[in-house]
Amino acid sequence: MSWKDFKKRVKRQMSDMLEIPSDIILDLPKLVIFGDIQLYIENHRGIIEYSRETVRVNVGDYEVAVTGEDLLLRNILPDEICLEGRIKSVHFVR
Amino acid sequence: MFLFRFISFLFGYVNILVKGENLEKFLNKAASRGIFLWDIRRVGENEILVKTRLSAVKPLRHIGRTTGSLFRFKAREGLPFIISRLKKRKSLLLGAMLFLIGLYSLSSFIWFIDIKGNKALPAEKVLQIAAEGGLKPGVIRFKVDEARVEGYMRDKLPEVYYISVEISGTRATIEIAEKTIKRKEEQHPASIVAQKAGLVKEVLVLVGNPLVKEGDTVVPGQTLISGIIPPPEPSGSVPGDSAGDPGLNPPPVLPPAYVHAAGVVRARVWYEGYGEVFLVEDGIRKTGNSISRVCIKISGREIILKGDRSIPFADYEVQRNVKKAPGWRNLSIPVEIITEVYNETESFRVSRSRAEALELARQNALESARSGIGDDAQIIEEKTGEVSLKNPENIVRMRAYVETLEDIGIERPIERQQ
Repeated sequence: MSWKDFKKRVKRQMSDMLEIPSDIILDLPKLVIFGDIQLYIENHRGIIEYSRETVRVNVGDYEVAVTGEDLLLRNILPDEICLEGRIKSVHFVR
Repeated sequence: MFLFRFISFLFGYVNILVKGENLEKFLNKAASRGIFLWDIRRVGENEILVKTRLSAVKPLRHIGRTTGSLFRFKAREGLPFIISRLKKRKSLLLGAMLFLIGLYSLSSFIWFIDIKGNKALPAEKVLQIAAEGGLKPGVIRFKVDEARVEGYMRDKLPEVYYISVEISGTRATIEIAEKTIKRKEEQHPASIVAQKAGLVKEVLVLVGNPLVKEGDTVVPGQTLISGIIPPPEPSGSVPGDSAGDPGLNPPPVLPPAYVHAAGVVRARVWYEGYGEVFLVEDGIRKTGNSISRVCIKISGREIILKGDRSIPFADYEVQRNVKKAPGWRNLSIPVEIITEVYNETESFRVSRSRAEALELARQNALESARSGIGDDAQIIEEKTGEVSLKNPENIVRMRAYVETLEDIGIERPIERQQ
């Protein structure tokens, strides 16, 4: 077990014990999805690909790949992306 | 979000078409620099359309240079652009200003005057007096002193004991209460005719020719005191004489005199009434519980503004009050405000004893008989009798007879034959 994985395990145990939301301690992305029309991605690291059908967003250790129709970036902030359109799938790609 | 949009509108924003190979990089750089981009839409292979604030255009150009993207401005929106466009179209601005000034100045005049409550007084006269007092269509609203106009009109119109002048918007309302002045006796010829059928009890003639006497039975419409007084018979001339003496001139036919008949004819009048009461009665009555609901109806769709969706009563009756904006020409606004009041109802059953029912029926019958009696009538006798049937029923029937002594005469103008 590498040092990095060990650190992660300790952090997770800490967050479980102290009941602190894991997205703060572990620096995880927070995805809020409203039906199939709107998706908020908080705590992102930038856009990798953007087209009408696919949007890939870097969220740290992996990326979030969204497929759909007529995808539109409602807004982009340094730590938040709002995506609109007809969402078909949301994948986590390692 | 709305606030953000509003601020963007206030400061102005642009639609930019960005062309380049590495558009994701462009977006990431912009986001990390804190430049706000929204409504990002891919329109082509290497083209995206973004919206951004006016203040972000300069730093965005810098990013564009480093990522190798080209800009093309598609649309400028927001208040700064609207103002600059308006500056070029001075006449439009002038027109808008003129419109506002016109609206304001026209609304500061009084255009309509309504008169309420006048009966004998002609509206033209009231309007004329009001105009003399300073209130007429076309006068400036702020110059009209309601109290002064009221005072002036009260002085000029002695037949009025209350005047109120009220101005709301461009409409002035004059409210009047007239004094009831007894009008002078009418001088046109008239007869007194019977209003009701009855037995004449007394005849008092002031003016006119009595056609009935005590003890006569009259029917409605029959002339009691005629306004036509026949010429007196020429004395000494007997019909037989004149026929036998053709040489003598026939006596001149005097025209009958026409008068305004006056007098009192008092007669006994009978009234009949009928009342019935069920021994066992079923019906529906309100319990007193009610709820109200306010809906707004927009083109066939009802939206409840106040009140519950479901009605908590098993039986109820609804009172609907629909308020609609007045239509203009053939346009109407398809919005209605509907106020509904739901009154709870329940069915009930009342059973009465025979004596109770009889008393109630008697009162009903008397009431129905008395309903036709005039105010000045003097009730002489009241009689009630049960209408009895052979086989007993669930119903009690009563008949009432009321006898009165009253003035049955009423004036009717005579149409003079030419």
